[in-house]
Amino acid sequence: MMIPPNSLVFAIDDDSSVRKGLTRLLRSAGYRSEIFESASDFLKREQHAGPACVIVDVRMPGLNGMDLQETLIQRRRQEQLIFITGHGDISMCAQAMKAGAVDFLPKPFRDDELLGCVERALIRSAEQRRRKAEENEAQNLLGLLTPRELEVMQLVVAGMLNKQIAGELGTAEKTVKVHRGRAMRKLNVSSVAELVRLTEKACLAPAANI
Amino acid sequence: MIGLCVFVGYYLGAKIGFALTFKPYPVSVLWPPNSILVAALLLTPPRIWWFVLLAAFPAHCAAQIQSHVPPLMILCWFVSNSSEAVIGAGLTRYLVRGPIQFTSLRNAAIFCLCVVFAGPFLSSFLDAAFVRWNAWGQGTYWDLTRIRFFSNALAALIVAPLIVTWATKGILAVRTAGRARLLEACLILLGLLAIGFAVLYKFGPGADSALLFLTLPFLLWAAARFGSLGTSTALSIVGFLAIWSASLGHGPFSGGTAEQNTFSIQIFLIVLSIPMLFLAAVIEERATGETERRESESRFRIVADAAPVLIWMAGVDKLCTFFNKPWLKFTGRSLEQEVGNGWAEGVHPDDLQKCLKIYTEAFDARKAFVMQYRLRRYDGEYRWISDQGVARHDAQGNFVGYIGSCVDVTELINKERALREFEERVVLAAQAAHLGVWEMDTTTYEIWMSDGARTLLQFDSETSLDHGRVQDRVHPEDRALRDSAVKGAIESRSEYEIEYRVLLPDGTLRWISSRGRCVTGEDGTRLIAVSIDITPQKEAQDLFRLAAEGSHLGVWHWDEVANTLTWDGATRDMFGVSADAEITIDTFYRALHPDDAERVKQTWRQAFELRLPYQIEFRTQRTDGTIRWVHARGRGYYDEAGKPLWMTGVLFDITDRKEAELQAHQNRDELSHLSRVAAMGELAASIAHELNQPLSGITSNAAAGQRFIDRGKVDLRELHDLLGDIVADGRRAGDVIRGIQGMVKKDVSAHRRINLNDVVISVVHMVKPSAMLHSCELGTFLDPDLPMVEGDPVQLQQVLLNLIINAFDAMRDTPLSRRKVVIATERDADGFTRVSVRDYGVGISAEARERLFEQFFTTKSKGLGMGLSIVRSIVESHGGTIAAENADGGGARFQFTFPASAKTSAV
Repeated sequence: MMIPPNSLVFAIDDDSSVRKGLTRLLRSAGYRSEIFESASDFLKREQHAGPACVIVDVRMPGLNGMDLQETLIQRRRQEQLIFITGHGDISMCAQAMKAGAVDFLPKPFRDDELLGCVERALIRSAEQRRRKAEENEAQNLLGLLTPRELEVMQLVVAGMLNKQIAGELGTAEKTVKVHRGRAMRKLNVSSVAELVRLTEKACLAPAANI
Repeated sequence: MIGLCVFVGYYLGAKIGFALTFKPYPVSVLWPPNSILVAALLLTPPRIWWFVLLAAFPAHCAAQIQSHVPPLMILCWFVSNSSEAVIGAGLTRYLVRGPIQFTSLRNAAIFCLCVVFAGPFLSSFLDAAFVRWNAWGQGTYWDLTRIRFFSNALAALIVAPLIVTWATKGILAVRTAGRARLLEACLILLGLLAIGFAVLYKFGPGADSALLFLTLPFLLWAAARFGSLGTSTALSIVGFLAIWSASLGHGPFSGGTAEQNTFSIQIFLIVLSIPMLFLAAVIEERATGETERRESESRFRIVADAAPVLIWMAGVDKLCTFFNKPWLKFTGRSLEQEVGNGWAEGVHPDDLQKCLKIYTEAFDARKAFVMQYRLRRYDGEYRWISDQGVARHDAQGNFVGYIGSCVDVTELINKERALREFEERVVLAAQAAHLGVWEMDTTTYEIWMSDGARTLLQFDSETSLDHGRVQDRVHPEDRALRDSAVKGAIESRSEYEIEYRVLLPDGTLRWISSRGRCVTGEDGTRLIAVSIDITPQKEAQDLFRLAAEGSHLGVWHWDEVANTLTWDGATRDMFGVSADAEITIDTFYRALHPDDAERVKQTWRQAFELRLPYQIEFRTQRTDGTIRWVHARGRGYYDEAGKPLWMTGVLFDITDRKEAELQAHQNRDELSHLSRVAAMGELAASIAHELNQPLSGITSNAAAGQRFIDRGKVDLRELHDLLGDIVADGRRAGDVIRGIQGMVKKDVSAHRRINLNDVVISVVHMVKPSAMLHSCELGTFLDPDLPMVEGDPVQLQQVLLNLIINAFDAMRDTPLSRRKVVIATERDADGFTRVSVRDYGVGISAEARERLFEQFFTTKSKGLGMGLSIVRSIVESHGGTIAAENADGGGARFQFTFPASAKTSAV
């Protein structure tokens, strides 16, 4: 079993029996955990800087599990959600999974099942965090380019030749070459393939049909 | 005191007597001791005379011994002197009947006869005999007798009245007399002393004896102004002056021998004294009479003025002389205006002639009269007056006029008129009410009948009637009854009241109720009676009886006074008592089912005490062992003082109904159970959730424990807490299961005192997961001061559960944010406990509201329509009510209410 470093497990349930059981189970498996009685209490806490997952009861007074999922998505947060429920309601299960939940467990759950879910969730959270970091890096690099250089680079990623680009932009082929060389240096890439990977990380769509 | 007075008086009297004896003539002119003794006896009651005589004895001895009288003579004289006093005083006391007073001619005459004449006269014979026997004095027996008689008679005339008058009124008169009167008395005294001294002392025996008359004016003056007191005093002065002068050899009575002089003085004084005493008595008698008359007249006026009636008096000339104050106040006129014929001005002109006629005729015939006339009152209103006059006579029986008294009888006359009018109205009313009135002469049995009575019995107005003719109309079976009632009442001079049937000529049969009473008046005893047609009531009674028989209605009657209980046939049947069995209160108690007996007795007693009608259901145990259910109603009747007289009531046999009820009750229990099971089905998800929570806790904790152990680092403290949580969660799961069992178990309701708040809390806990499932908020408002109620907690939980689940269902189409169920308990103003369940759903349609609590009525596609009907039956079996309404702001509110100490009526 691998626990990603700096990871934290949150559990939210209005029932104290469940809360106590979850706390102990998570501790016995070596996880750091924080327990909340309601979703709104959890939301008051500042976001954890490392990988994190949230075990949440579907039905609670006030903000319920589904409401929490929606809120977290809106806020673009990376905590992975594991739903637990005393009722075996299928419709909710489907909705939650579609929205990206790690799993949907009926109570009483098996310990290894839940802990497996937690592990998966944390790994997913760590992966997501890593990808997010790369994206940020790529975007920072792209931010160094002048608008004209960015235009040229987008057309390069789209697979155009210098000549085509010049025609497209209404400038001389020589000028395009200069922009391209300066941009490649700024982005610290030596090939078009590398450039394409970088833009992908930055989630920048190629200006294919401009 | 009396003894001392008598002793001193007697002794001094004797000394004076000796002093007034003309020497050598041995007999005193005037011998006072005997008179003093007689005066003392006259003034004292006979029972102490012996004491008076005893007191006089030593004085007598002392005085006589000094005169050297031999002891035997002393004793003899005391005997003769005492006898004189006793004879004189005794006779006087006998004739006057009491102590003498010189206030009437009769008394003066008695005094002269008894004291002055009889006493001295009779005792003198004895005295003389004693003297002769002792050979003490000289002279013949007759001489001695004569001398002593005159001497004692004079003394009795002069001394006795003096003492008596002064003792009885003299001292009082001096004390109360005014200054003028005392001065007058002194003038007389001085005048008398001066004249007496001059006439009786200064003038010699040769002077004109007519001069003696000079004393008369003063004597008359004294008599006229001071009565017997003055006369007796004046006479004594004249007497002593005369005797004293003569004894000294002066005055007109000193001319002859001592014997002659003595006799002259005695004759003079006796002749002078007797008329003077009589004169004084006459004068006093007149004076007293005058005073009494004046007093009685003023007393009459006071009485007349204070009397509440008007009083007048008329003289012999028919003219009125007096009207009392009430009369004058009534007419508002003065006495001067009314006297004579003035009063007639106030009489109403229409009545005056008649009034004067009665007055003069009665007056001339000296007869008493009564008349009524109108007299004008001070305010001008004519009032009816009843005037009664009678002739007046004085003490001698002479007619002196009339006296009359009048009373204002206006009110009386008005009342009489009102009474007459009332009687007329009563007769009219009786006619209108078909009331017959009739009177029977109890000797002839003749009957007078009012038109109403004749109509009732179909007699025409001409037929003369008697008891027999009326009896002919009576139904043959009732004739004897009526005859004995009427005749019995006549015989005992009392009343009767009967109901009987009459057969009328037109062939109809009517029921008559009749009351009669004997009235004894001047013209003998009559039976007065009223009769009324009660056929409609009787028919109604018959109908009632028929109805009672037809409906298995039993009728009973309890007479508290006679201590008797009466049952009709139906009642006997209900209690399993044969038709001819004797019924007592114990029969009733014995026939009650043992489990109900105490309750029935208590209800009965309470109803009687509180004077309320009652109703109760109970079981009877018949002699054949079968049990009947009976519904009883009754009420008591009481006298004015509130004392119970009797109680009457009806009984219905409700055994069939009761059995049906019991069956229904069982059915309801069955249904109620089914409904609970169904409700549990609806709650399955909720129950699962309730169980899953602790199970989750258990599995998580147990798994954690395993892991701790597997990892080989066991914190024992941690492990202890962990196991403790597992135990708690296990218990929690057990509780959930027990709760479900309670709801699903099919058992007989178990009532106890419960707080409805607890019921609400337990049900809310049970449905909380379900509420979440329906995304529904649950709210409670619980009144902390809720009174306890008597009830079955499981059944009441069921009621709430049903209502809450219905509320969830009603909100399927309600937006999530509005889904809410509020359960509230409260104690309302009337002390009722109310529980309400309010939702924000679709509400209740008008059509649904009508049939809401009916069985098999449902608005749910899958519902059986049993829930609310069971809810209602449970609430009602707890003595409560349930109602549904659309709440303000949308949704429905169901609420059920229990009386404060509601008890189940279920048996």
